[in-house]
Amino acid sequence: MSVKAFELVPAVERALLMGDKARINIECIECCGKNLYVGTNDCFIYHFLLEEKTTSKEKLTFSVQKQQHKYLGLKKPVSELKAASALNRLIVLCDNTIMLVNMLNLDPVQSGAKIKGVVTFTVNENPVNGDPFSVELGVISVKRRTIQIYMVYEDRVQIVKELATPEQPSAVCLDGYFLCLALTTQYIIVNYSTGASQDLFPFDTEEKKPIVKRIGREEFLLAGPGGLGMFATAAGISQRAPVHWSENVIGAAICFPYVVALDEGFVTVHSMLDQQLKQTLPFRDGHIMQDFEGKVILATMKEVYVLVPLPLERQLLDLLASQRVEEAIVLVEGAQRNIPKEKFLVMYRRILQQAGFIQFGQLQFLEAKDSFSKGQLDARELISLYPLLLPSTSTFTRSHPPLHEFADLNHLTQGDQEKITKCKRFLINYLKEIRSTEVANGYKEDVDTALLKLYAEADHESLLDLLVSENFCLLVDSAPWLEKHKNLFIVCSDILTGKIKDTNLNLECAILYGKLEEHDKALHILVHQLKDFQAAEDYCLWNSEGRDLSYRQRLFHMLLAVYMDPAVANDTLVMAAVDLLNTNAEVFDAVRVLRLVPGNWSIQLLCPFLRGAMRENMHSKRMSQVALGLAKSENAIYKHEKLKYKGLINLSEKKGCQLCHNTFSEPECVCYPNGILVHIHCAAKRNRDSASKQHFTNPSNHT
Amino acid sequence: MKPDVKLVLLGDMNVGKTSLLHRYTERKFTNTISTIGGAFFLKQWGPHNISIWDTAGREQFHGLGSMYCRGADAVILTYDVTNWQSLAELEDRFLAVTDTAKPDCIFAIVGNKADLTDDCALFKEAEGDESPVQTKGSPRLRKQVHTEDAVALYKRILKYKMLEEKDCLPAEKMCFETSAKTGYNVDTLFESLFDMVVPVILKNRNEGFSQTVDLTEYNDGKRTRPGCCV
Ligand SMILES: Nc1nc2c(ncn2[C@@H]2O[C@H](COP(=O)(O)OP(=O)(O)OP(=O)(O)O)[C@@H](O)[C@H]2O)c(=O)[nH]1
Ligand SMILES: [Mg+2]
Repeated sequence: MSVKAFELVPAVERALLMGDKARINIECIECCGKNLYVGTNDCFIYHFLLEEKTTSKEKLTFSVQKQQHKYLGLKKPVSELKAASALNRLIVLCDNTIMLVNMLNLDPVQSGAKIKGVVTFTVNENPVNGDPFSVELGVISVKRRTIQIYMVYEDRVQIVKELATPEQPSAVCLDGYFLCLALTTQYIIVNYSTGASQDLFPFDTEEKKPIVKRIGREEFLLAGPGGLGMFATAAGISQRAPVHWSENVIGAAICFPYVVALDEGFVTVHSMLDQQLKQTLPFRDGHIMQDFEGKVILATMKEVYVLVPLPLERQLLDLLASQRVEEAIVLVEGAQRNIPKEKFLVMYRRILQQAGFIQFGQLQFLEAKDSFSKGQLDARELISLYPLLLPSTSTFTRSHPPLHEFADLNHLTQGDQEKITKCKRFLINYLKEIRSTEVANGYKEDVDTALLKLYAEADHESLLDLLVSENFCLLVDSAPWLEKHKNLFIVCSDILTGKIKDTNLNLECAILYGKLEEHDKALHILVHQLKDFQAAEDYCLWNSEGRDLSYRQRLFHMLLAVYMDPAVANDTLVMAAVDLLNTNAEVFDAVRVLRLVPGNWSIQLLCPFLRGAMRENMHSKRMSQVALGLAKSENAIYKHEKLKYKGLINLSEKKGCQLCHNTFSEPECVCYPNGILVHIHCAAKRNRDSASKQHFTNPSNHT
Repeated sequence: MKPDVKLVLLGDMNVGKTSLLHRYTERKFTNTISTIGGAFFLKQWGPHNISIWDTAGREQFHGLGSMYCRGADAVILTYDVTNWQSLAELEDRFLAVTDTAKPDCIFAIVGNKADLTDDCALFKEAEGDESPVQTKGSPRLRKQVHTEDAVALYKRILKYKMLEEKDCLPAEKMCFETSAKTGYNVDTLFESLFDMVVPVILKNRNEGFSQTVDLTEYNDGKRTRPGCCV
């Protein structure tokens, strides 16, 4: 899909120039601020004031006022015009001669300064020695294969340099010391200071008109084979992929980030960011296209047009409408230097927010989060997508014009549950991150309440963290929501209202303590208040689910301690303790238990426990022996592998056994993993001698 | 983002340069149109930004090759295994184009469309799926270029560059057969090249101010270009 980036607006109409004189044509144009100059083939220069007007319907037009016109008296076409506003001069090429005229009254300078024998010239927009009261010109001379560099002052000119080129040049551009030239068969770049030259690529300029355009610091745009617009740096490197014009391109210009080109029937617009064709505007009989300080002007033989970029907002909206988020962001960022800061920030944020919603809609959460936070999104815009999350008391209304096209989450995901879950998870993370930042200022209730609802619904472990920390959850809204999601967090609604007193809430209270990992308090409630021993045991099992054994052990010991609390000792609790030990013998640390139990308990009573504990002990001892053995053999395998990879071992008479220090007389030997070679018999002896057996031998024979 | 490594794909039209790059970057084989001029792609590789230039094989754009190769750190010379001429073109037409590449540029020679000639190339590499990507099997074509031919060309390239074989990456490591269609060997091609080129550019960078070798970045076992040995 294309973008409407430009509009062609007529500026100077036929009647203002040559009227109905058929043979009079526009030869060249120049624009400097509001001053528009037109040179004609009958040796006239016209000076207009060009002013933008916006009509009521937001339509841009130009009002043109003719200031002057002047006959140069040479009966030759005015072939090129360049304004040097600092000097108040217009540099005019006519009849192979450069002359200087006053920018305002078009009178030739008194001194009559001239450069003769000029085919074409260029102004250096990035001169190295930047004297503001001079202009540097690169000139293609009528002298064969010669380029000249001139300095132009208010009323004099001075040649600085003359260079010979290997072939006849036909187009030139200057940047710093770099001359970019179209020669007969190729483009080259020459450093006029050092004389160093760099070939770019072949191009037959006798067959096709070359284009050489400076597009920025040390970078040029050139017409290439097959209608390509090629980019080349002064170092002779292409940093951007080419754009593809038609074969008959006449002129090209840059209006960042676009490259516009003119051919016989059209103006084409390509993006320099992705090289794609963005727009095509029909334009017949065009023969000039140039950009002047970012303003692109076109001319037919008789009329002048301005290629007006559409307001940035408009282009951005178009891009976003076609989901081209990255392009939109690059475009708005690229525009930063051309817009006042305040205005830029407003626009930038809005684009980022819109971009964020597009990315969100595509479930590109990382990108969306990035855009939202850079764009400082009012989080309620996002929350309001999720039905019922905003508190009923919230005064929020979505921004207008809307930031996105989604009614709500169901619309966005088309009811896909999996997607909805993902979106909710995203919102949880997003709100968690922003709730304590500046962005949330002014609507913390909305953010925290939404987060609470999401937590409750997802049975999320962070619900308690939220509630026990400072928060702005709204009571009226949160409590019913917690009730609705009948999970164990029902208790939270009580915390919320600060009235956890009722005894029938004991269980929930215990569970709550459990969540907080305050197990003794929980077990206390279960044992002493609820007197539900099975529940207490279950509690230990349940809370150590998925944890390591020592954690489970800790819980069971804790419970045992609660049963045997001397302060509340009674028979029921003793029996509970004995039952606990006997049925869960394997969990307990038998030594610690035996230290704890009072001397008056009979062995008989604890028999099942003791048996279980013994069995468990034996079992774990044997298990660790097995594990040790396995690890050892694995180690051996690795060592063997390692040795294999070491490859061949060099055994020669010069090498001696590292144990007995005698030489080897036979090819058989023992090689230790560290590469040490010994006699087989020495190794065997050492093996026998070494009581610890720490040294692992790996007999491998190499011949 | 300024690229710090430049890699250029060269080769005759229709050998599958664009398809290879597509397969690597987009993970699929799509219809291509013959490349006009050139295109490029940025790949993040660890801390490095690698620019990969896809050039046009068409005669008309031949003149652009030298400019695209200027300053290249690695060049992939691509041919079509079913087309002898496409290998010959590498030597006749494209080798000279690489004169503008960096002096220690590394070269890989890649025979694409292996799916048309070799059964093994019907499988994607290292993706764990063992089913042929393309089951029907297109009519088997005669393999016109064999790996030995590519290896021989690689050695002639070293001669052309006046490099000693022993100082350079071995031919066996630099000659690949791939299929953009099935994905066979495509990741291996690009990623082993990245791994080979990064130490070279790091070394060049370091040489500017110190002789220290960064051991964490140094890829042992993969000997780099002659520069380090002379
Ligand atoms: N069977 C098969 N066909 C392939 C393979 N790679 C490319 N092709 C086909 O070969 C044709 C040319 O592929 P491209 O990638 O456009 O070739 P190219 O080298 O970029 O060509 P130019 O851009 O003109 O230089 C297309 O029809 C592809 O579908 C492959 O691995 N196997
Ligand atoms: Mg291609």
